[in-house]
Amino acid sequence: MDSIFFYRSPENSLSGGGPLQGVNIAIQPNISVASWPTDAGSKALANFTALEDATLVQRLRQAGASLCGSTRMSEFGFGLEGSRAGEAISRREADAELVLDLTGESRLAASRAACCGFKPSYGLVSRFGVVGLIPSMECCGLLSGSLETLREILKAVAGPDDRDFSLPGEEIPDFSPRPVDPQTTTVGVLAEAQGELNGGHKDAFSASVEDLNRAGFAIREISLPEFPLFSLVHNIVGSVEASSCAGRYDSVRYGQRIPGARNWNEMYLLSRGAAFGPLVKSYLFQGAFFQFERYDAYENACRIRARLVKEMAGILSQVDFLVLPAVSGASSGDPASITDLYARFSLTAFANVTGQPVLYLPSATGEDQPGVQLVAPRLSDARLLDLGGHLLTMGKGGN
Amino acid sequence: MEFEAVIGLEIHVELNCATKLFCDCPNRPGDEPNTNICPTCLWLPGAVPRLSREAVEKASLLCLGLGADLQPRSAFDQKVYYYPDLPKGYQLSQAHLPLSRGGTVTITDEEGKPSKLRIHHIHMEEDVAKLVHEMEGRSPISLVDFNRAGAPLVEIVTEPDFHTPHQAMEFLKALRTRVRYIGSSECSMENGTMRVDANISIRPRGTGQMNTKVEVKNMNSIRHVGDAIAYEISRQSAAVQAGEAVTLHTRLWDPEKKVTLAMRGKFEGPCVPDPTVPVIELSGEWIEAMRSRLPEMPAERAERFVAQYGLTGEEATFMSSDPEVSNYFDALIDQGIAPRTAMHWLTTQLAPAVRERCQELAGTPVTPARFAALLNMLSRDEINANAAREVLVRLFDGDEAPEEIVGALGFRQVSDPNALDAMIDGVLEEQAEAVADFRRGQGKAMGFLIGRVMQASGGKANPKIIRELLAKKLGAAS
Ligand SMILES: [Zn+2]
Repeated sequence: MDSIFFYRSPENSLSGGGPLQGVNIAIQPNISVASWPTDAGSKALANFTALEDATLVQRLRQAGASLCGSTRMSEFGFGLEGSRAGEAISRREADAELVLDLTGESRLAASRAACCGFKPSYGLVSRFGVVGLIPSMECCGLLSGSLETLREILKAVAGPDDRDFSLPGEEIPDFSPRPVDPQTTTVGVLAEAQGELNGGHKDAFSASVEDLNRAGFAIREISLPEFPLFSLVHNIVGSVEASSCAGRYDSVRYGQRIPGARNWNEMYLLSRGAAFGPLVKSYLFQGAFFQFERYDAYENACRIRARLVKEMAGILSQVDFLVLPAVSGASSGDPASITDLYARFSLTAFANVTGQPVLYLPSATGEDQPGVQLVAPRLSDARLLDLGGHLLTMGKGGN
Repeated sequence: MEFEAVIGLEIHVELNCATKLFCDCPNRPGDEPNTNICPTCLWLPGAVPRLSREAVEKASLLCLGLGADLQPRSAFDQKVYYYPDLPKGYQLSQAHLPLSRGGTVTITDEEGKPSKLRIHHIHMEEDVAKLVHEMEGRSPISLVDFNRAGAPLVEIVTEPDFHTPHQAMEFLKALRTRVRYIGSSECSMENGTMRVDANISIRPRGTGQMNTKVEVKNMNSIRHVGDAIAYEISRQSAAVQAGEAVTLHTRLWDPEKKVTLAMRGKFEGPCVPDPTVPVIELSGEWIEAMRSRLPEMPAERAERFVAQYGLTGEEATFMSSDPEVSNYFDALIDQGIAPRTAMHWLTTQLAPAVRERCQELAGTPVTPARFAALLNMLSRDEINANAAREVLVRLFDGDEAPEEIVGALGFRQVSDPNALDAMIDGVLEEQAEAVADFRRGQGKAMGFLIGRVMQASGGKANPKIIRELLAKKLGAAS
């Protein structure tokens, strides 16, 4: 059996104390750790070794965590093809994992590993030292069996960073736990998010909503007919951003340079042609097409995105949380195609478009049952963890 | 057919900030190659740009100083192209939402009339690395120096308001003066802190057509800009008259052959908004705070020189064309020097001497206070002009006060009539013939006699007093 690890840390647990003392964390090779290989799963970055620690890494270590290594990841973390995310937890090699979430990868990896998966609010965690593909959509997700561990990690890494000015100058929310009172809490259910579920998944989701209802939460049906546009907007905006931003992965200063070029242009074409895998390559092609041939479509997608962000914020002003299924169960059967990727991530991509925090909560009834996604307004990350904690306790027969 | 040119300029100005635009590396492109670099300006994976506050301030001051409207929201875009001088495959530039829109620069046209030339917009962008092409044995190699990568630039894009090389050159001179006043850049085409591209098209005179334009680059002085535009106008006119079409392309100015040569076209697509640099939001209060930091601009200063110091319009324009010179001029007058004396000695003596020593007026050891002390001795007739010029040379060499130097070298003029009396009597006795000539009405003899007295005094006598005393004595004797 090949290793789930891409790189194993030579360091031992630090004994400096701190809230994450003794917590073993696996990262992915797209998060910079000085002197660790950091190829983000792509041949375009083959043999690249980070020069500095990412802010995330610095803060985790300051809080006492130890980094046990980086797990194999899909190319730039886009989709889960070739990714071993979640396995370090299911095999008890790590207490938590950091998994880049571009379209919902951290949440689907959590569902695969039947643990909790958390995508924080966009802008809450520094991007300094994180190698990515779609800057405006992606965010470092967290996986763990324990919601309290997730809370401690979030507390340690969140907040302004003088090395990343893209974080909005917002006040850091209070991460301390608060009790949840179901009698005063409304959970919304998006009708359109259930359209594509197959029979088994549909039943499981209905059962989860029924559980919430039984626990005393007010359930409100909400309609957002434009829900399918989230994937479309993600696809167009994401591919254009990726195509432009991936320019820095030019295989000139790192990665693999293919010999035999007669000039600069050929050097780029040969090297980049050999560097990217089929999924990323077609994504970059698609982005270049929209940028250079259909810029109007890209601009429309940006406008629709702004509207969708507003609509979701509006919905979350009517209810406290949203509950959505996570796993669509759909696939076209070709894991290297963009269509297949967006089919698999059709229920998760919305949060990357809006920047809202999402908690994937595994089913309380059994590891073979799909869990749910709980959504809160931006920066209400801690309230999501409160809700998750309440539901887990309840599922275990508490309350 | 008579043709008229339609010309627009794109001017890159390198801001004199302490750091680069998106990282803390020193903004010193001329240092040893690849010494001012970091993961951000090399754009290594994981790097995040951090927009420099100083660059936004200096760029904003520049916009305000050119009468432009700072935009409440501006943002960076990614301008995609692949070239070894650009380590991330795109240049961060403001393509969709520039820092400012509008603005004007007034010049004097060929007929001596004021003419207003409009600016379309001004945006910020990062500079790219420098490529050095060399031979390694027999194979050509290209070296990349990243010191310049990420240096802060603004690009000033004009309206196509220009019709002649003269207008373009006058615009560039006026722009350079204003930006130097604002203090955002040295604007030297020779040093590459100001780079100019000209877009030129022609049309039959009197029509409003906008025809295909040709971009001309690689001019290293304002003179070259004028020459290149003039060449390009006649080249395009000849081509059109020969029935050839003008195609959209870029040409390089060859300063030795004095021609423009076509270069290969560059592929350019629309820019994508950059998701990593935050949108720049400028509040009304902030913009007003910046405006209050603007210094007096050259045109206002020239007006003041006329009103306050009584200079002619031409003198005032000349004295205000360089901020350092005009600041120094003001400082001399503050020290009590008469405006014309200050103007004369500053422009004919001090400024050339400072240039010769490769110093700056702002940093020369000949401070306004020391220079004014010297000029005051001159105005009080304590020394003469020759002595003043010699003392000036010594002011550069040490920190002694001009009075000390004058004393040490014995340059003080003898103005005491009693001391001069005996000397003059001696000369009159010796030069009986000249005295006789003078009496016969030969005015020239007076100059000769003054010269003899000067000689007798070892050059220290005050010529004005000698003339007075001589006139009195000769008059009395007649
Ligand atoms: Zn740098």
